[in-house]
Amino acid sequence: MSMEKIMAIVSHWQVALMLILVVLAAIAIAPRFEGGKFTTNLQYGLDLQEGTWLQMEFKAVVAGFETDKDPGDFAKAIQDQTDAEVYVLDKNKIEIRKYIPREDLETVFNTAGGRLTSYEQGVSKQTAEDVKRILENKLNALGTKDARVNPLVGLSGVSHYIRVELAGVSMAQAKEIVGRQGKFEIRIHTTGNETENVLYGDSITTVGVPSHDSPGSPVWGVSFTLNQDGAEKLQKAAIRTGAVSKPDAHYLDMLLDGKVVYSAPLSPDLAAKLAQEPIRQLYASTGTGDAGLRDAKNLEIHLRAGALPVDVVVAGSGFVPAELSDYFKLMCVVAFIAAAIAVGIVIFLRYREPAIVLPMMATNLTEIVILLGIATFIQQLDLASIAALIAVLGTGIDQLVIITDEILHEGKVPSPTLYTKRLSRALGIILVSAATVIIAMVPLALMDLSSLRGFAIITMIGVIIGVAVTRPAYGEIIKEILSK
Amino acid sequence: MGFVGYDVNRYTPRQMMVVPAVILLLSLALLGFNMASFGMPVRPGIDFSGGTAVTLFTPDSAEQIRAAFSAYPLLSVGEGVNNGKYLKFGPMDDASLQALATDIGVRYPDAKIDQIGASFGETLQQQALIALIISFVGMTIVVFIAFRSFVPAGAVVLSAFADIAMTAAGMSLVGIELSLATVAGLLMLIGYSVDSDILLTMRVLKRQGKLEEKLAGAFRTGIIMTTTTIVAITAMWVVALVGQITVVWEIATVLLIGLIVDMMNTWLTNAGIIKWYVQKRGGK
Repeated sequence: MSMEKIMAIVSHWQVALMLILVVLAAIAIAPRFEGGKFTTNLQYGLDLQEGTWLQMEFKAVVAGFETDKDPGDFAKAIQDQTDAEVYVLDKNKIEIRKYIPREDLETVFNTAGGRLTSYEQGVSKQTAEDVKRILENKLNALGTKDARVNPLVGLSGVSHYIRVELAGVSMAQAKEIVGRQGKFEIRIHTTGNETENVLYGDSITTVGVPSHDSPGSPVWGVSFTLNQDGAEKLQKAAIRTGAVSKPDAHYLDMLLDGKVVYSAPLSPDLAAKLAQEPIRQLYASTGTGDAGLRDAKNLEIHLRAGALPVDVVVAGSGFVPAELSDYFKLMCVVAFIAAAIAVGIVIFLRYREPAIVLPMMATNLTEIVILLGIATFIQQLDLASIAALIAVLGTGIDQLVIITDEILHEGKVPSPTLYTKRLSRALGIILVSAATVIIAMVPLALMDLSSLRGFAIITMIGVIIGVAVTRPAYGEIIKEILSK
Repeated sequence: MGFVGYDVNRYTPRQMMVVPAVILLLSLALLGFNMASFGMPVRPGIDFSGGTAVTLFTPDSAEQIRAAFSAYPLLSVGEGVNNGKYLKFGPMDDASLQALATDIGVRYPDAKIDQIGASFGETLQQQALIALIISFVGMTIVVFIAFRSFVPAGAVVLSAFADIAMTAAGMSLVGIELSLATVAGLLMLIGYSVDSDILLTMRVLKRQGKLEEKLAGAFRTGIIMTTTTIVAITAMWVVALVGQITVVWEIATVLLIGLIVDMMNTWLTNAGIIKWYVQKRGGK
C-alpha cells in the first residue's frame, strides 16, 4: 500500500480518533515485564485472581408506617416493644435493626398505634454505607491488600445485601476478619502524661449515629450509653483523679487496639453532674462543619470497636485458589485467540480478499484493545466478562460485515454520494441493533446480580465503542482501500 | 456462500412459518411442563435454588469423591477432561458448610468453592426474572420506535421471543441448568437475535428493488454474520469444554443453541412474515 493511501486513510477524523484511542488504551493497559513476569494494569475479578467473596444479608427491616402520632414517639414505642435499635428514616419509614418477620411486625405496629404500609428486609442506604465504612476500616487496619466492599442497593433504596471481595485471602480467614472485633478502652490522664484505665468496650451498651449536641447547634458528635457498672467506674475515676473539679487537667482518651482515637476533657456541665452521681448517657463532641461530621462518623465506628451496627449472616460465599485462577486466565487467552482465528478464517472464506479481511480483523481487534483499556479504569475482568469480550468480538465482526456488504452492493465501490448514503444506512442498522443490546444489558448492569454485572458492563462498553468509534472508522478505511 | 443450500425465496410465507410454529409450540409445552415440575421453565442450578458448587482437578474417581463426601448432601459429580471434576451439593446449614469448606481445603487445597444460601438464591431468581422481563420490554420498545410499523416490529419481537423460548427448551433437553451465567446468555441472545432480524427488515422495507433480490441479499449478509458469530462462540465452547471452565462453557452452549434457532427464526419466521406483509401491501 502506498504512503499516500495510508495518509488518506488516517486523515479521516474517525480513523485518527480510533488510532489515538488505541494508543491511549495501550498506555492504560501498560503491558510490561516486571521481574521477569508479564504484567498489565488490567484488574482481575475473583475468578481470575486468588481470593474469597462473601455476600452477607442484613438482619434488619425497613418498614413504612402510618400513624397519627409523632414519628419519633412512634419509633420509640416500636423500640420499646422489640428491644431493637429503631431509626426514623423519613416521615413514613423507619429502620429496625433486628430481623422481625412481617406478621409479627404488623402486630407490633398495631399495638404502637400505627399501621404497617410496606416491609422490606435490609437497611437504608445510609446504614449500608456505615457498614461499608466499618468493614473497610477493619480490612485496612489488617493490611488486607485488595479488599472491595459493596452494598447492593435495590431500586427502592433499601440494601438487602453487602458483598465483600478479598483478594489473596482464604474463605476461613475472610470470615474471621469480617467477624473480628477490636479492643476498645477509655483511659483518663492522671498526672503529666500518665494515664490509667477507666473502662473497656464491653461497658458500652449502645452507640448512636452522628448527631448535633442539641437541636440547632452546629456542633457534631456521637452519643453513647454505658452500663451501670461502666458509669460507676467513670464516676469513680473522675473523682479520684480530680477531673470533676479540674476537667482540663485530666483529659479522657479513647483507644482502639491501643491507639488513641479521641481525646477530650469532661465538659464543665458533665463534670459537675459526675461529682453527684454516675452518668450513663454520654455525648462526645467532635467539632463543627464537615470536619466535625467526618470525625463523628469515625468516632462512631471506633466506639463500636469494629462491631457492625446491624447483624449480618453469610448468604453466599466463594473461594478461588491461586492455581485455578492462573489456569482460568490462561484458558481465557487461549479461548480468545481461538475465537479470533476462527472468525478470521470464516471472513476470509467469504470475501477471499486480504484488502477487506485484514482491515476488518484489525478494526475488530482494535475495538477489543480500546475496550480493555477502558476496562482498566472501571471494571475487573472475571470469567463472565471474558465471555462478554468474546461475544463483542462476534457482534463486532457481524456489524463490519453489514457495513462491507451494504457498501459493496453488487461488488462495486459506489460513487462518493452513494457511498455516504449506504454507509449511513448500514450505520442505521447497526445503531438499532446496538440500542437493543444496550437496552437488554441495562437491567443486568443496574441490578447488580453479583457476577453478571461485569458481563453487562463489558458488553455495553463494547457496543458503544463499536458504534461511536470503530465502525464509522472502518467505513472510511474500506472506502479508501477499495476506491481505485 | 456454498455451504448453505436454503433458498429464501423458494417457499410461500405459510410454508416458511409452519416448521418454526410447530417447534415453538413444542418448546412452550416443554417449558410449561418444567414450570409444573420445578416451578421454573428450566431446572434451576445452585445459583437459584441454593447449594454449593466445587470445581477441582484430581485423578480421584467419582466414586472416591462420593465416598469422601458421603457426610454431605452431594447431589452430583460432573467429570470433564483433564481430571476436572464439578461437584454439586444441596443446601445445608452453616456448621456443615464450614465443615465442608474445611474438609475440601484439607483434601483438595486447589478447589474453587461457590456457595449460595437458599434465600439469596430466591432473591437472585426474582432479580433474574425481572432483568429478563425489563430487557425484553426494552428491546420491544426500541424495535417499535425504529420501525414505527406494527407488523415488521411485531415480527422481530416474535422471533426474539421464539429464540429465547426455543433456547430455553434446548437447554433443558441437553441438561443445562438455569444459572446466572445462562441467564446472561439468554439476555445476550436478545441482542444477537435482533441483529439479523433488523438487517432483514431494513433491507426489505427501506431499499429499492425486487423483493426476491432484497431477501436474497439480506440472507447472504445475514448468514455470514450468524456464521462468524457461531464460529467465534464455537471456539470459546471448545476451549471451555477442554479447559473445564463451567461458566464460560454454559454461556457458550446457550449462545450456540440460540444462534442456531435464530437462523431458523430469522429466515423462516421473520422472513415469512415480512414477505407476506410486503406481498399483501402489493409490493413487488
